[in-house]
Amino acid sequence: MTSAPTQQPPGPPARRVDGSMSLLVDMMANTLDEAYAERAARTAGTAPGGPSEQDPSRRGGLGRRAVAGLVVLALGVVTGTAVAQVRARQEATTGLRADLAGEVRDRTAATDLLAREAEQLREDLDAAQAELLGADAAGRAAADQLRLLGLASGTLPVTGPGVRVVLDDAAPPEDAPDATLRGGTPLDGRVQDRDLQDLANGLWAAGAEAVDVNGQRLTALTAIRSAGDAVLVDFRPLSPPYVVRAVGDTAALELELLDGPTGRRLATYASLYGLRFSLERSDELSLPGAGTPQLRAATPLEQESTS
Amino acid sequence: MIPALALVIGVVLGLVLEPTVPAALQPYLPIAVVAALDAVFGAVRAQLEGIFDDRVFVVSFVSNVLVAGLVVFLGDQLGVGGQLSTGVVVVLGIRIFSNAAAIRRHVFHA
Repeated sequence: MTSAPTQQPPGPPARRVDGSMSLLVDMMANTLDEAYAERAARTAGTAPGGPSEQDPSRRGGLGRRAVAGLVVLALGVVTGTAVAQVRARQEATTGLRADLAGEVRDRTAATDLLAREAEQLREDLDAAQAELLGADAAGRAAADQLRLLGLASGTLPVTGPGVRVVLDDAAPPEDAPDATLRGGTPLDGRVQDRDLQDLANGLWAAGAEAVDVNGQRLTALTAIRSAGDAVLVDFRPLSPPYVVRAVGDTAALELELLDGPTGRRLATYASLYGLRFSLERSDELSLPGAGTPQLRAATPLEQESTS
Repeated sequence: MIPALALVIGVVLGLVLEPTVPAALQPYLPIAVVAALDAVFGAVRAQLEGIFDDRVFVVSFVSNVLVAGLVVFLGDQLGVGGQLSTGVVVVLGIRIFSNAAAIRRHVFHA
């Protein structure tokens, strides 16, 4: 646009004619747009010869000023828009997080509600079953058998005398970095899944009729295992202290835990690693049921297949 | 005076109206702002040095925005949009700072 080679100010020879395009080339050497100097030099040179060109180009008319003002206005609008957009995006992000947290809470509440409903329905079902089976002798016999099976398999809640064993990690050392965390306890001093397995097996062997760990009833299909630092019972992570309750012959259970192989092993662990272990007997223990097991196998009724 | 007023009015308009920008253009808004700011600081400095020219200002403003946007767009196409954005911001930032220093010298003589 400015093609006045004779009036260009001295500078690098390879400079482009249009100074406003040299944005990234000479940013360090020449921070002010050279076009201003060029333009000034040109108007100064042409001013004496042609005053007609000076007025519309340099310090030009009202139209030019209005355009400049509009350009600055546009800059303001773009700036404001960009700021507004960044804010909107931030709000969207925080809103999304709040939404997710709320959804988690809602779903948890819904799960709790459904669990209570399932419990209620299970009770209704049991009541209806008892009513139907209580009609005749054969039915009552079947109901008794069902109840016994339920007690043995661990699906029904159980109440009775028994023992209560508390097993806990070793006390964290005095200089533990954070005593409230489980990391404060050295690995050796933690209760392992194997310790709980030994305890549960010892209790079963000593004649326990029902066993639970921290409220998780043990059935024939319940696994005690560990994942990372956590001990899982029935795939639910538990945290110490572990309260193991067993209903059964209290004297036999106590004997096993005090003098039997299980008790001796626990005592060894306590003296070697500092595991904490306590035992008390109780006349009245209430163990929860494990819930209805999954239906894994079924056979059609004999009568229908033969007839 | 009038340009400053226009800038303030523009910012308020943008904040209040929140014009919807096409999603494809959104990444270029900050770059456009920085490039335009460079032209504005250059204009203020030229004004103080007595060689301001409306036409040069408008042309440099528009070309600054277009070139910066083009560079970043090209970077996006080549997969280095973020780096090129940084480069543009650094270069323009240096210019803005040195122009601001020149303005400061003119205004405060220090």
